[in-house]
Amino acid sequence: MVAQSELIKEARENGMDLLPLDKDTYELFFGPQHMATENFSIILKMDGHRVVEAIANPGFLHRGFEKLAEFRPWHTNVALLLRVCVPESDVPETIYSMAVDEIIGWEVPERAQWIRTTVLEMARVSSYLFWIMGLSFKLGVYTAGQWAAAYRERLMALFEQLTGARVYHIYTIPGGVRRDIPSDRWLHQLKDTVEYIKSKLPDFDHLVFENYITFKRMEGIGVMNKKFALSEGVTGPNLRATGVPYDVRRADPYLLYPELDFEVPVLNEGDALARALIRRFELEQDLYILEQLLDMGPPSGPYQVSDPRLKNLPRFKVPAGDAFSHVESTKGDFGAYVVSDGKNKPYRVQIRGPSIAHGIRVLEHLLVGSRIADVPVILMSLDNCPPDIDR
Amino acid sequence: MANGQEGGMSMREQAIVDKILEKAPYAEGKVRRERRIEFTVPAERIRDFLTLLKKNNFELMLQITPVDWPNDGEIELIYQIWSVTHRTHVMVRTRIPRELEKARMPTVKDIYPVAETYERDAHDFFGVYFEGNWKMEMPWILDDTEQDIYPLRKDFDMLQYVKKKYKILDRFDENKDNYVI
Repeated sequence: MVAQSELIKEARENGMDLLPLDKDTYELFFGPQHMATENFSIILKMDGHRVVEAIANPGFLHRGFEKLAEFRPWHTNVALLLRVCVPESDVPETIYSMAVDEIIGWEVPERAQWIRTTVLEMARVSSYLFWIMGLSFKLGVYTAGQWAAAYRERLMALFEQLTGARVYHIYTIPGGVRRDIPSDRWLHQLKDTVEYIKSKLPDFDHLVFENYITFKRMEGIGVMNKKFALSEGVTGPNLRATGVPYDVRRADPYLLYPELDFEVPVLNEGDALARALIRRFELEQDLYILEQLLDMGPPSGPYQVSDPRLKNLPRFKVPAGDAFSHVESTKGDFGAYVVSDGKNKPYRVQIRGPSIAHGIRVLEHLLVGSRIADVPVILMSLDNCPPDIDR
Repeated sequence: MANGQEGGMSMREQAIVDKILEKAPYAEGKVRRERRIEFTVPAERIRDFLTLLKKNNFELMLQITPVDWPNDGEIELIYQIWSVTHRTHVMVRTRIPRELEKARMPTVKDIYPVAETYERDAHDFFGVYFEGNWKMEMPWILDDTEQDIYPLRKDFDMLQYVKKKYKILDRFDENKDNYVI
């Protein structure tokens, strides 16, 4: 056994800034500046290029949303809580609004339900395109990533027309949505965009999902089985890649999903490749759902509940009670638990992001034994989203 | 959402509640609505009750929500579990005293391993100590300087903390004429 100080001295002489732990093992800080981890850090204990132990180290994005939400009027919180999930900010908006609707007992008008469903599906498609971008950059297939970013841009433009904002829409509010659909032209544009993205899916298949490189890099790494996934609270595509057909849209239907026809793709392998392919199949299903919604057309009627109390939003009070609501996001089961004590501010809001299960214990387990080059791929295959761990 | 079968659907939930309560007479349970049930359990029986739920196919623990009720002198812990088999969400409510030395719970990480993470979260923000979870002392989201302040408790003075931390009151030097960051 060599003394650690000697090892450090030797490392420094050779121009290494790593922390040696033993003759062959050293400690490596992976993130938070690393591109792959997205404001999230993992402390890796390495033996050569193999990971011996991984310790997830979250907290770089903690902004105290749950505390801040207790100091703001009910509707103002929408503009705060949507920042919990950056790539699909409509999900926290919707779960919060659905929970508040349930406490008040509001029946949201049909037109608002249609708009909410459409916005959620648009967010899913744009989030999956964003994920394809991330994945292909990590695999080294840069062209597909740039395509995905360009196609996502079309959805961003549509979001801007609908809500006035590109990333943080602040659109779904308790009782409905904030504004009506701008015009029929917007619906036609959305239809064109859906068709356009659908026509480009074979290109992604060709370049990413049927690519020899993808199979070589992703097959058989980060494997988890059904029992492990269930006991670790894994949800969403990651759980469906282990053979459990759990989709919140099917299991606990909300909004218009009971009327829509879609498949829940399931694979049994449970490795990084299966997780990636599940996401690819779901992107297709989401485009199909959007097509159905557009064929259905928005029902006529109001896009908000009519309630005289809504005229004075800062003093708007919600009766005492609590509610849990959740939706299926591209990362998994996204839930909100809201408690009201009858005042004009929430008593407690808790957001349950799927990454708090995927990004800590599951990640620590899957990384052990993998090569350092596979660490970003495993992270990307779990679709870890640090802001919903830190909140 | 028009649902003509609402009466029939909540019968299904009532059957689950009855089946659980039969084996756990110490608990109280009710159906909140379609696919939502809840139980209230004394804190010392929480491990027995969650073991029972796990045996009855409540597989996915979604979150542990602490809620601070300073007027009652209690912290409410809500274990939220989703059953993939029964397609039902269950909330298991329990209350413990909110004084720091008494706010202790047995860990449930051997029943639901993911609870380890949720328990660390509850400890960091609410000061609930989970006995048996060795990761309690490991750093979680908050920094070292922010330990032991438990910011999500209701008696945490956010404004005072922010002013002190970011030195908003003394941004000027001793002569009060130079602005110092």
